[in-house]
Amino acid sequence: MHHMLHIKNGIVIDPKNNINAEKMDIFVKEGKIVEESEVDVKEAKVIDASNKLVVAGGFDMHAHIAGSKINTGREMRPEEMRTVRLIAGKFRASTGRVLLTAPAIGYEYTKMGYTTAFEAAQPPVGALHTHEELDAIPMIDKAALPVFGNWHFVLKYVAEKEWEKLRAFLAWALERTKGFGVKVVNPGGVEAWMYGGNCKSLDDEVPGFNITPKEIITGLIQETENLGLCHSVHLHCNNLGTPGNYQTTIETMKLASKFSNDKRQVLHVTHVQFNAYAGSSWRDVASGAAEIAKYVNSVDNVTIDMGQPIFGSATAMTGDAPFQFTLHKLTGSRWSNKDSEIEGGAGIVPIAYLPKNPVHALQWAIGLELGLLIDSDKVVLSTDYPNGGPFMEYPYVMAMLMSKKMREKELERVSPYVQKATGLAAIDREKTLYEIIQMTRSLPARIMGMDDTKGHLGIGADADIAIYNLDPLSIDTANDFETVYKSFKTSAYTIKGGEIIAKDGELVKEVWGRTFWVDATSKVSIESIESDLDEMFEKYYSLQRQNYGVEETWLRKPEKLVMG
Amino acid sequence: MLKLKPKIDFEVSVEAEITPQLATSSLDEISNFQIYYGKEKAKLGDLFEISKEGDDAKLILEGDFSMVKWVGARMDNGEIVVKGDIGDHLGAYMTGGKIVVEGDALDWVGAEMKGGEIVVEGNARNYVGCAYWGDMTGMSGGKITIRGNVSNYIGEKMGGGEIEILGNAGDFIGTEMKDGTITIHGSCGFVGGDMKGGVIKVKGSFEVVPGFKKVEDGFEGDVNVGGKGKITQF
Repeated sequence: MHHMLHIKNGIVIDPKNNINAEKMDIFVKEGKIVEESEVDVKEAKVIDASNKLVVAGGFDMHAHIAGSKINTGREMRPEEMRTVRLIAGKFRASTGRVLLTAPAIGYEYTKMGYTTAFEAAQPPVGALHTHEELDAIPMIDKAALPVFGNWHFVLKYVAEKEWEKLRAFLAWALERTKGFGVKVVNPGGVEAWMYGGNCKSLDDEVPGFNITPKEIITGLIQETENLGLCHSVHLHCNNLGTPGNYQTTIETMKLASKFSNDKRQVLHVTHVQFNAYAGSSWRDVASGAAEIAKYVNSVDNVTIDMGQPIFGSATAMTGDAPFQFTLHKLTGSRWSNKDSEIEGGAGIVPIAYLPKNPVHALQWAIGLELGLLIDSDKVVLSTDYPNGGPFMEYPYVMAMLMSKKMREKELERVSPYVQKATGLAAIDREKTLYEIIQMTRSLPARIMGMDDTKGHLGIGADADIAIYNLDPLSIDTANDFETVYKSFKTSAYTIKGGEIIAKDGELVKEVWGRTFWVDATSKVSIESIESDLDEMFEKYYSLQRQNYGVEETWLRKPEKLVMG
Repeated sequence: MLKLKPKIDFEVSVEAEITPQLATSSLDEISNFQIYYGKEKAKLGDLFEISKEGDDAKLILEGDFSMVKWVGARMDNGEIVVKGDIGDHLGAYMTGGKIVVEGDALDWVGAEMKGGEIVVEGNARNYVGCAYWGDMTGMSGGKITIRGNVSNYIGEKMGGGEIEILGNAGDFIGTEMKDGTITIHGSCGFVGGDMKGGVIKVKGSFEVVPGFKKVEDGFEGDVNVGGKGKITQF
């Protein structure tokens, strides 16, 4: 089933292994990257990668690709579904402009050379739906991060300072939802939303629990670290989408300062662009990206991803239900609100980013500022798909980060408000190809705690490989941005688990990736929370405890990562 | 001028985005023009008898075209004459030219059209000049005339242009309308819900939704959306 591959004469960039544009051969056997000696060179299929860039498959650590939010988005936006991408034949029918159907998600990532994508907000009670939908996404490896920051169990244990119970609960919940890590969305704020409110500052009180977002975040970081999960707390900050919120963001990042971890960050702050606004209202809103960049660069326990807006259609969908209502009021666009029992909520609002709209242009500029000003081993490239726009436009972001000339050209078509409210025009920095590969491969893999097998091309890594028609030795990324964009848009080859799944932007073979989930139950005593679980399910859930959760055997290709 | 006549009675719908421009192509190109018969790809020549006289941009459709969708979609000039009934999506997205239907039309006549003219001598059904589901703006220019009756949802989200119905209409006329004019010579049901702007004129009886206030020469609203739409009887 698995062929041996000999990828010949490619120009390899592999930041984890400090390889920067070296001509070398890569050997693949049984889905892994192996030494030359392990491959029978006569038997192996040879791929001529001369003058081509060879890198690990892309790793999207933050996208919304499955679950009730994206599905509600699809229902709300029939107009998104009218773009036909593929008519059924050898591959499944796939449609969608920005909001894609499940097969289209797998196919489009593949064409771009991405081989892993994580669903960044799984409502725990909707875990089964999320996994069924992930199971309908072909080609890529995936996982889901359940949302914890407003879950009554978490709020209760934080209020009671029952840290061991909180730890046990995290392990229980990850096992039940087949989740990968601890996602937190607007901690406390979504609970306040149940009463029509929000928690905009770290010190606002969460109604009914006598605690603050600060205590929730600190408690969750502490117990995630005590559990030793492979991924850190993954936080969507309070006060998202509000002018002046960059200060909340920096204060939040400072909460991580008393924790550390040898292998990775202890706090990943996501789609920071939406949390990097200075000013006091939409009339004087400005960029707070420089201040955030300064802080992130000065510490080594916080990482971020950009949340870059792409001009055009997008759909805002987050677990931050109060923010989505604000957005609906701001834009007058359609709105759907979701409630997930005692776990949190979500909202969905269609949006279009217009270059001439001062606020949209500002958001676009802030995303790029973050990407440019922050060290490449701390900032991941993301659009927070589909909130900032299509992941299919990652190549645009890559090209922009590498070329000031391209940015100058783009600045001409956006609202001039950007010139006075952001520092984008003054940034001379041009990231290198090496850094871009870092931001899209090795760094996200490290942040997710998967850097032994993902995001690099060292011996033992998964044979997830992307080959692009781009010669790193001769390309002038600063001037030839169009070639860069085109090359990254469609890979010459995408290889997943040692099999060629796409060639020159055409799908070759449908494969099914794995779903990773994290089991930390052996490190805690579930016993200690049994009575609480029974009581809360009895009192507050609409379903019984025995019917809650997802069994591993229900998943198409689960891969359990055991902690401890 | 190009004349088309169905070779068979269609069992499933035909999707044929044919425009008057096609009449200017060679007979070979016309015959090979790709359409769909149900889910199967087909050629225009497989399903229709084709005859061509001269190169002017004019289409004549003879026979029963009620199963044929998307005729005149996106057309920008020329003329289509339908000597019978026509299917859904007639003249959708069109920007110019003229379509005359001598029989009846079905749903989505002139959906999201921007210019040009459509005349239906018989009846049409729902969604005349509407926005497709999820889109923000329906018909935004040009004129649609239906000499017979129409059903529900006429000019939904209309942003400009003119719709004239000589017969009666159903419910939800000019819902979320922003601009343009709808004239109904007969009677109709509910009119103007969430209307933001534009004018609706009705000769017969009609029902106003609660969000309208009485003004000197009719009604203004919908106040629920701060609208300044106008409904008058003439």
